Amino acid sequence: MTYHYNEAFENPDYRYSETLEIDRSRERNSSFLQNHHDSSLDDDSLYDSYEGGRGQRNQDYPMASMQPGFRYSHSASRPNTNPYGNPHTNPSFEYEPEFAYTSPSTFHAGDGPYVRRASDMSDGGSFSQSYNRRQADLVYRMPSSLLRLDSNAETYDKDKYKHEEKLIKNLASISSKERVKAIQKTPKTMKEKRDIRNKVLMEKTKKSVSSSTQINCCTQCLYKTALSYQRFKNGMSEYLHLLQLWQKTLKVIGGKFGTSVLSYFVFLKWLLTFNIFSFLVNFSFITIPQLIASGPNNLSFNGLELLTGAGYFKKTVLYYGFYTNSTITKTENNSSYDMQLAYIFTIGIYFIICFFSLVYSMAKSFRKNFINPQTYSGSAAKLLCIWDFNITNEKAVKLKQSNLSTQIKESLSEVTLEVLNLSPKQRIARIAVHLLVWMASLGIAAACCAGVYFFSRNNLQLLEGNKSELENEAATLVLPIVVSLLNLLIPFCFALFGLIEKFQYPRHQLYATVIRNVFLKIAIIGILCYYWLNDVATSEKECWESLVGQDIYRLIVIDFIFCLLASFFGEFVRRIIGTKCCKKLGVPEFDIARNVLDLIYTQTLAWIGIFFAPLMPAMQIISFFIIFYVKKVSLMRNCQPPRKVWRASQMTTLFIFLLFFPSFTGVLSVMAVIIWRRTPSKQCGPFQGLTSIIDAVSGWMHILDSYSSSKWVVWIYYNLIGSVHFFFILTVIVLIITYLYWQIIEGRRIMVRLLHEQIINRSSSSYQPYRRAALQMTASIERPFGRNGRDFYVEPSSARIPEKTSLPPADTEGCQPGISETLALALRARQQAEWEMEDNDDEDFRP
Amino acid sequence: CKLGQSVFLCCLYTFPSLSRLFYRYRDLAPQLVPLSYIDKPDVKLPYELIGSMAELKDNPFRQRIAEVFSEDGEGNMTLDDFLDMFSVLSEMAPRDLKAYYAFKIYDFNNDDYICKSDLEKTVNKLTRNELTLEEVCLVCDKVIDEADQDNDGRLSVEDFQHMIARAPDFLSTFHIRI
Repeated sequence: MTYHYNEAFENPDYRYSETLEIDRSRERNSSFLQNHHDSSLDDDSLYDSYEGGRGQRNQDYPMASMQPGFRYSHSASRPNTNPYGNPHTNPSFEYEPEFAYTSPSTFHAGDGPYVRRASDMSDGGSFSQSYNRRQADLVYRMPSSLLRLDSNAETYDKDKYKHEEKLIKNLASISSKERVKAIQKTPKTMKEKRDIRNKVLMEKTKKSVSSSTQINCCTQCLYKTALSYQRFKNGMSEYLHLLQLWQKTLKVIGGKFGTSVLSYFVFLKWLLTFNIFSFLVNFSFITIPQLIASGPNNLSFNGLELLTGAGYFKKTVLYYGFYTNSTITKTENNSSYDMQLAYIFTIGIYFIICFFSLVYSMAKSFRKNFINPQTYSGSAAKLLCIWDFNITNEKAVKLKQSNLSTQIKESLSEVTLEVLNLSPKQRIARIAVHLLVWMASLGIAAACCAGVYFFSRNNLQLLEGNKSELENEAATLVLPIVVSLLNLLIPFCFALFGLIEKFQYPRHQLYATVIRNVFLKIAIIGILCYYWLNDVATSEKECWESLVGQDIYRLIVIDFIFCLLASFFGEFVRRIIGTKCCKKLGVPEFDIARNVLDLIYTQTLAWIGIFFAPLMPAMQIISFFIIFYVKKVSLMRNCQPPRKVWRASQMTTLFIFLLFFPSFTGVLSVMAVIIWRRTPSKQCGPFQGLTSIIDAVSGWMHILDSYSSSKWVVWIYYNLIGSVHFFFILTVIVLIITYLYWQIIEGRRIMVRLLHEQIINRSSSSYQPYRRAALQMTASIERPFGRNGRDFYVEPSSARIPEKTSLPPADTEGCQPGISETLALALRARQQAEWEMEDNDDEDFRP
Repeated sequence: CKLGQSVFLCCLYTFPSLSRLFYRYRDLAPQLVPLSYIDKPDVKLPYELIGSMAELKDNPFRQRIAEVFSEDGEGNMTLDDFLDMFSVLSEMAPRDLKAYYAFKIYDFNNDDYICKSDLEKTVNKLTRNELTLEEVCLVCDKVIDEADQDNDGRLSVEDFQHMIARAPDFLSTFHIRI
């Protein structure tokens, strides 16, 4: 039993090789280290269950990927390299050889280590002590150690000391980065942590001296480089963190209005960084080369252009039409720059990056916030998790407290229960009202679309009119003003519907309003896109791309102005009315959903506009910057913290999803139509003279075909990117993987249900440890990234307790079969868990 | 480096935030806290000073927070305790660490269980004693009824963490920006 401890990993060779692997392959390395780390903690399965079994999803303890045979094979293959293999060098494991507990029949040969772990369990209690601030903290969780405490308190202290030693040795054996993380994450005081760390370092130097013959200079050098690189990276990330915008403003807003309002500003900031990135990309790869090659602009500037985007701006780098289709060459060094290719590749790569970063943030946010959505309810979580520690303002604290007390009173009076007991008639009436309202809102959206389409056709005819140029330009503003007005007024109309409808839960009303608004906004953008692609693009106008660019420019500018007006009238005037004239209304609240949807709307427009006006992100940056400050001032002056509970993290996930699904995917399809189906204008822009934009790429491929060295690029283009079959196969593979994962999740759901039933069955019994272990088991399975199956091995040792305590033996006998079933379930669950080797990145998504 | 590298390696912050935190600590009592920590002075700031920080002064749980994180359990904090506190309350801390300390904060009588009396205190702090005694009682019963998985009439750490796993907002609300 002593020999399994730490297995082969105490071998310094091993240690250093793995330290070097950090940089080479994080993935592989982490699973390796986990194995390691586990051996340092496995004596304390209860600690595991505390630390790893619950919400823990960081890289240190994801045991889901561990296979039972893994550890075993290591110890089998290198039994002699273990310096602790000898019981004399590590006497702490000498006691209790009597723990020859054989596991239930569900174990097989590969499970050897667990049997041994079971025998180590009695050490666990004292070991767990070292993980706690106070001594008595965890003892209750470890009945056998409690016994030990009673029976021989003398050896107890000794054990504790030995176990700390053991922990230190284990920590010494893992890489420095993992060790730092492990130490940081133990719930202990700084002093104890530092103690442990110093001891670990001492241990490490001792060992490296003793085994210095095995480390050559090169490995040490590499090791040092890796370490300093780590330190450098840490420092850099922190400086970047410092550079972050508005750290202080966000803190003030959070302090005064809580996390919910803060989430709007965080979202705004996230979009801003997105735009800064796209501006940098476009500016450096498209605009700068063009600026080098372009001639002077001789159009006059009269100020109205700032609103309309026409006139002077037509002949600037703002629009597609200004860019040249030639290759820009520098005569000195004969290097050339092909604008066509630069344009299409910059925009294409930008969209690909956007796609992946959106998918990444979305997935992360889902994983974090929807761990277990189906059981999120009840006052327990509400009461104990509700306090927002961000709030630091005295008034806000008082307001929050009184809001809380009204909420609690409301939930006690059980208003919701009354609603549930409706007669069939009332129910039908309610459903009819819902249907009516939905019809009405969809009808309004359709009417808006028709109106917008009418105005846009009108807009096109205006351009052909014979009036003066200035009048023409002014007339083009009609369409954006109409669109912005609709965007501003219809949501209020939808909000009024909320008064007619009575939803069972306020959150349903919120979702309904959000969905209706999304319908409206997406429909308007959709009809505009239809107009641009179908009417403008086929209208034989000179440079239709620039016309679309101007349209989008106007839409964004006017929408920005309306946004400012809305926060003036909607919040400032509303507060004046609420405080001076009509006291009943009171101070307005900040409408998070409406404001976030506005942001999503403008971002969609900007994405579409990127192709037609590559500098559109610059405008977005300016407008977001101003919006941030205007909203902040308006919020501070006019608004009060929201009264209702706002589930910030789930709503953020929803908003990112909305930004991805109708918005970004819609933009992608519009782009696809433009690039593959539409003929670019004949006289201007980088693609003049081609039948479709994609021809630029295929033409380039023809040129490349003549060079033998770049044949592989051509091959990739024809066989992968340009081939339908490849995408077909890819789609099939993705679908199969999705289906497999779906099945895994289904299987786990069944497992969770079964284990829940087990818990319920057990809860009538008075035998605590079993229940607790089963509980932990369920928790770790519910959490898909937990250390499934680990916690379970608590049981064999605790099964001994009845012999010493007064519990009747019959009781334990009754428990055994049930437990072995649970064990079997647990093992199966763990095997399922092994399917998913997830990278457990614990960095939080902060949009 | 006034703090020494050992601190750097033991808490979740990286260096610039650490020095920021150090100055925050020092600003609480410039006459007591030396600028250099190289010779490891034994300085402790009393609870009155810690509780008057802008980040804590209006928090209804400020006394509990200070007690939980101070080594003497009375709210008097050394620099280490102070760093510890803000590293747990930072956004870098993992969910379990946060949950563990949140549990300790709500465990007013330090018996490692959140029992009914603890819950009553919590409710009173959350609502500034605006509820009647019966209402408080009802709420506490409801909470225990829902969150207690092993039917012992009180919430253990496991129960608490089980509950936290279902409250996604917890991570962002148990967080103090410094």
